[in-house]
Amino acid sequence: MTTLLDDLLNMEAEEIWKLNERPDADGLRAKEQIYYEDVNEGDELPKYIYKPTPTHLFRWSAAIENFHRIHYDLDFGLNHDRNPSILVHGSWKQSVAPQYLKDWTLPNGWPWKARFEHRAMLVPGDVLIMWGRVTSKYEKNQMGFIELEIGMKTQDGIESMPGTATVVLPLRNGPPIPYPFVPPAD
Amino acid sequence: MTQQAPPTALTPEVQAMVGVSGDIVESWGVMDAEYMRRFTQALMDPDPRYWDDEFAKSTRYGQIIAPPIMVSYLASRIRPDQGDPITAAFEENPESDGIGSVERPGELPPVPTNLVRVLNAGNEIEVYAYPSIGDKIFFQNRYSDIRERLGRDGTPFLIITRETRFWNQDDVTLCITRASTIRR
Repeated sequence: MTTLLDDLLNMEAEEIWKLNERPDADGLRAKEQIYYEDVNEGDELPKYIYKPTPTHLFRWSAAIENFHRIHYDLDFGLNHDRNPSILVHGSWKQSVAPQYLKDWTLPNGWPWKARFEHRAMLVPGDVLIMWGRVTSKYEKNQMGFIELEIGMKTQDGIESMPGTATVVLPLRNGPPIPYPFVPPAD
Repeated sequence: MTQQAPPTALTPEVQAMVGVSGDIVESWGVMDAEYMRRFTQALMDPDPRYWDDEFAKSTRYGQIIAPPIMVSYLASRIRPDQGDPITAAFEENPESDGIGSVERPGELPPVPTNLVRVLNAGNEIEVYAYPSIGDKIFFQNRYSDIRERLGRDGTPFLIITRETRFWNQDDVTLCITRASTIRR
């Protein structure tokens, strides 16, 4: 049972960090399927907690070859772009979102689509909470579609990435989700 | 006295850009295990489907897979036959952010508007299949939507959406991304 987002936001940053539910490799290997019938409107997904440091930001810049100095050059960020610090990449946040949906739908569901906006500037020292909440569900073509509200909040409750997502879960006695994924015709 | 409506930003020339596509681009290199190791470690996603060959064979995918959004970063890598635009950027301007002057293959022609301020309005991703090790990645950009909105002061602005489809050597669509920008 995941800690509710509202409860997390009433905690100190260090308490939030202790409730991180990001799975390790073995957890992902052994992930048990969530079926459509298991999910109800209002359910919350596990919370992925991050504490980005300058090293994390530098590693992401290097991995995706993004050389924008606002992400690793503190002097440039403060004095040229007048930012509060070096900034967490929007590209990292938007890569966490599909990972989060993938993990939740493993092993046989499908993280079909997500849309989100980038709002707040995130900096090293922030504690970040990737969260999701079921807003509705419906069946179509013998697949279970789950509509989600998703986001990444700071420990202060500032929403940095408000968004929505649609994922597909198998029905308990239904056929496998097609792969490659074929969405139903409208 | 009747008030004059503000001039529209959605001119016929701007509207004509909807549907305009860039060149089809074959990304340099292939989806490889080392690039994926660096990407997934930086993402902090330890999924063994990305690196444990034996386990990956037991999954529904039957092989190692890659994060879907990784193709967008693979596609934007600077090609070695492009020279060294990063060094050139800093030689021209020591205050450069190092990326502004890098030309990306497959870019779209600019939208003909005098609205020059650019703000990020949001992103979308649709996922259809996972890339695999050894995949060649192809992509094509297009303007999928341009719409006009009015600011609080009644001044029109544009929301421009650029869609990118990524596919592999077997013509399997991997994912579609959309990036919307506000032009004020």
